[in-house]
Amino acid sequence: MTQPTLALRSVSKSFGMTAALTDMTLELHPGEVHAIVGENGAGKSTMIKIMTGIYQPDTGGVEIDGTPVLLQGSKAARLRGVAAVYQEPMVFPDLDVTENIFISATGSLWLNKSAMRRAAIDLIAKIGMRLDVDRMASGLTLAEQQAVEIARALSQNVRVLIMDEPTASLSAHEAAELRRVARALADQGVAVVYISHRLEEIFQLADRVSVIRDGRHISTRLVTATTPQLMISEMVGRDVGNYFSKMQSTATQDVLLSVRNLGLAGIFEGIAFDLHRGEVFCMAGLIGARRTDVALAIFGITPANAGTIRYKGKHLHAKSPSDAMAAGIAYVCEDRRKLGLAMELPIRWNITLATLSRYLSRLGLVNTQAERHTAADFRKRLNIRTPDAEIPVGKLSGGNQQKVMLSKWLNMNPDLLIVDEPTRGIDIGAKAEVHDLIRQFAAQGGAVLVISSDLPEVLALGDRILVMREGIQMAILDHADASQERIMALATGQEKAA
Amino acid sequence: MNKQSLLALSPQLLRILALVAVTGLILLFFATQIENYLNGRLFNRISSSVAVMALIATGQTLVILTRNIDLSVGSTVGFTAFAAGSLITLMPDLNPALLVAYAALLGAGFGLVNGLLVAYASVPSIIVTLATMALYRSLLVEFSNAKSITSESLPAWLVDFPNLPVISIGDLQVRAGFLVAVTIVFLAHLALTRLRPARRIFAVGSNPEAAAMAGIDSRRVVLVAFILSGMLAGLAGFMFLARFGNITVVAGLGFELKSIAASVVGGVSINGGSGSVIGAFLGTILVDLIDSSLVRWPIVSEFWREAVLGAMILIAVAVDTLFIRRLDRMRAARAHETALAQQGAKS
Amino acid sequence: MKSRLYSWEGLLLVTFLIIFAFNTITQPQFLTVSNQINMFQLSIEKLIVVLVMAFIIINAEIDLSVGSMMGLSACAFGWSFQHGLDPALAIVLCLAIGAAGGALNGFFVAYMGLPSLVVTLATLIGFRGLARVMVEDRGITNFPDWFDAIGQQGFIGPVPFALVCFVIMFAVAWIVLEHSGFGRKTYVIGSNRHVADFAGIHVRRHKLIIFTLAGVVSAFAGLLYAARVGAVRGDVANGFELDIITIVLLGGASIFGGSGTLVGTGLAILIVLNLRNGMSLHNVTGHLQTGVIGILLIASVLGPRLQWPRRLGAARQR
Repeated sequence: MTQPTLALRSVSKSFGMTAALTDMTLELHPGEVHAIVGENGAGKSTMIKIMTGIYQPDTGGVEIDGTPVLLQGSKAARLRGVAAVYQEPMVFPDLDVTENIFISATGSLWLNKSAMRRAAIDLIAKIGMRLDVDRMASGLTLAEQQAVEIARALSQNVRVLIMDEPTASLSAHEAAELRRVARALADQGVAVVYISHRLEEIFQLADRVSVIRDGRHISTRLVTATTPQLMISEMVGRDVGNYFSKMQSTATQDVLLSVRNLGLAGIFEGIAFDLHRGEVFCMAGLIGARRTDVALAIFGITPANAGTIRYKGKHLHAKSPSDAMAAGIAYVCEDRRKLGLAMELPIRWNITLATLSRYLSRLGLVNTQAERHTAADFRKRLNIRTPDAEIPVGKLSGGNQQKVMLSKWLNMNPDLLIVDEPTRGIDIGAKAEVHDLIRQFAAQGGAVLVISSDLPEVLALGDRILVMREGIQMAILDHADASQERIMALATGQEKAA
Repeated sequence: MNKQSLLALSPQLLRILALVAVTGLILLFFATQIENYLNGRLFNRISSSVAVMALIATGQTLVILTRNIDLSVGSTVGFTAFAAGSLITLMPDLNPALLVAYAALLGAGFGLVNGLLVAYASVPSIIVTLATMALYRSLLVEFSNAKSITSESLPAWLVDFPNLPVISIGDLQVRAGFLVAVTIVFLAHLALTRLRPARRIFAVGSNPEAAAMAGIDSRRVVLVAFILSGMLAGLAGFMFLARFGNITVVAGLGFELKSIAASVVGGVSINGGSGSVIGAFLGTILVDLIDSSLVRWPIVSEFWREAVLGAMILIAVAVDTLFIRRLDRMRAARAHETALAQQGAKS
Repeated sequence: MKSRLYSWEGLLLVTFLIIFAFNTITQPQFLTVSNQINMFQLSIEKLIVVLVMAFIIINAEIDLSVGSMMGLSACAFGWSFQHGLDPALAIVLCLAIGAAGGALNGFFVAYMGLPSLVVTLATLIGFRGLARVMVEDRGITNFPDWFDAIGQQGFIGPVPFALVCFVIMFAVAWIVLEHSGFGRKTYVIGSNRHVADFAGIHVRRHKLIIFTLAGVVSAFAGLLYAARVGAVRGDVANGFELDIITIVLLGGASIFGGSGTLVGTGLAILIVLNLRNGMSLHNVTGHLQTGVIGILLIASVLGPRLQWPRRLGAARQR
């Protein structure tokens, strides 16, 4: 094979007592799409940060074109042609597309705006996007923002492009576009590093795939020489056997929530379904299908302006979360960091946050004793791994944070639990635990509305599955009629709504 | 103006147009209220007092663009005015250029201290400059030894300079002080919009994380913004000395809040990344215009000045925010429509 | 508790004890009852507002208008007194003005979503302006004896009335902030307002209440000032906001919200008072004192990060 564009040679990196990377060796060749897979916490992000100069290795080194280099800072890495594009792109909302592309460009002191604009148009065309280069970045979609970032990397003669979960928040169409761009870049001789949790897309796109686990390199194989099962078992170091298998339904005939013709002008319309006690009901669809908006309408954050919601046989019109909560509805949101948890505050405070009034004396004082009791209880029940419940919740791993968030809402003893992307960004072990919890909650007579973009998860959890597309309800499938292909066909509009 | 062409304009330009329109309306209003209002003397009066504040507001804008704030500019103006005054009193034959450089460098030094603490020691700017505001003021008190600078002790060229008419049209005079301020604001605007490194000021304020990822050295950008703010405050100190001649330990007190007010009225977003020095300059003029017109308005007592100013800032910011939000919504709606149309065309 | 000793409050306590010991040794008149009482009484109005500012800052907001509100309230009292309003009624009127002004801030911040720095900068100028409209460039004095007495000779036993007020308010603020549901919500909203929103907490209402409270407390402090000095002018309490904010930040509250304690705030009050008092006894002027406090403020953020073990540095986030 040719000389690797970039190589890691026996790189180790520790933070305090924890080793993030141990003796990691990896070679990236020009013209290949090199996929990297591993559980959360396997060391992928540390590895990216070493390649992009944000961290320096403790031992071992980075080679570019066979020569050892010292990459100090992301600027040094960029000058060497190493750039990264992240799941949440990094753009400047107050600058236009042209300036976003050329912000870190070097060159004359005086900007030649018209030349810059022309160059921007060329770059955008090169990656096959349609985008007005004079638009402010604040109004761009995620996919458009990623395009801006790729164009920025291209403008700097990128030789190694790292894409970190680039398609996690994209619609199927956008994701396919992005994969096409990645392939085109590789064909031009760029070494593309592609990190993804979506195994099927790795098989569509990548040339080689490396598995890493616990900061160590496990294997590098040609994609044609591996299988999903092999990759998964290497990732987790064990057989995950029945992760994908469907759990037993506990649905009853007792209707808890009944939604008819629900709509919010310009966002979604005509949503209608019944949700029974004991049932796990999934909403599937692509990003932009407006599933979360339906949940927000039920929970009272952005109330619907058309249609009716009947809950426990009575009319419900929640104008705020507190209205919905009073009725017994809980909403576990998708974004832990921004909406779900107060990261600097103790675990205990977060767990009792939604039920604070229950811990208040008549004078409005907090009964700390009772709070501690609750926190200890959930820590045990949900297996939250932490030394104690008084440390800031931000110090926990993603999976444990998710469990704290679930505790917060389970403590409300809701009848209806809405869970938005319950396992996004948590590892497979924690995923299974969260799935068990959801099923348990339903088995005890609650109803669960799960919003998920992870099709295996939808199929594993959903007794019935509602598929949405761009604000429209496409179909409600019984589990027996559902398959990944069917859901995708509905979600992309290839199969028409019933 | 129809919706489409409104959307095509950048928010910056819209703000500037709106400011010019509001200034015009206020001029017209007071012209009907105050006899002999619209004349050259009004221009002379406002241009003289804007000359000092415009410099400070320009510096303040640079700092606010990086998502920081500089509360120490008032004390910097006071100290540099006093120090420059003392120097010229001791050495009356000093070259004027050296005196200006002395004031500017002194201010830049103060800005350097702020900038190092904010950028390299990562102390929030509001804390740093709250502290250095007190510190620089107490240095002034210590330095002055409770004495004042008086205009009698200053050379004539210095005291005459700000009011030196460069262009005269009837009784309307474009004076040297104002001309200097306008030149600096114009140069700052040109640099901010056209110089490659200056665009990084916007980048850092707009999205600090993205700036770090793009390899921009945010610390240096913030440091430079503070140094420039200090330097402009130093220049303003020189102008202050020249204009008033009498400098006491309270010189420049409260200028920090006035400069923030002028920037904010001029459409500079307190959250960083968005705004222009031209806007801040127009904001300075607008604030001063209302201030000096109310004094002459016979219907209300002059003591209403501050109350009106406060209300004006509040209204300006509220209207600006509501307007920009609406504009964003209209833009989003339009982008949505275009996307739908494109999809429709494909299928 | 060992962790308590390593905390920010522990460091503040040690600092306070050093300053106290230094003052006691170098200045014989420092540790006299009259000096100690004087020390508190001369800045009691500020200290009362410090308490409510702690709530505001922990809530991730800022209120620059408190000094102006103190001035407005004092001037409104003077104005109504001059226009023959019953002083008792005038007091009620001033507190109502405080509530209205605070609610105005709260409305713009909470319901219009404007940054509090800008809103309260505007009302800082506006409230001061209204105060000047009321008294113009005069001074108003000759208030009824009972009113002046509240500030000047109002002793309860050996303790001045104002000090009793402060101690009671401190206790109430401590209980509310650190042990009540309202206080808990203050921290949560300050830490992340969206999380609070999604947990069914009425964030806007909470912010409105806190700003209104700040207005009322500032108005009350302004009245105390008028009573203590026995006269009002347009520049009453001018610039107090910066001193007040400095004390709260020194006490360990994060300017980004979500952290800070009332114990820390109380210790910061003691440090600033004793430092200023000691410097006054050593004939250091007021402006210079403010400069020293400024250095202390920066050192309070820098110090733990540069010199102390990491553990202590972590005690203060930012």
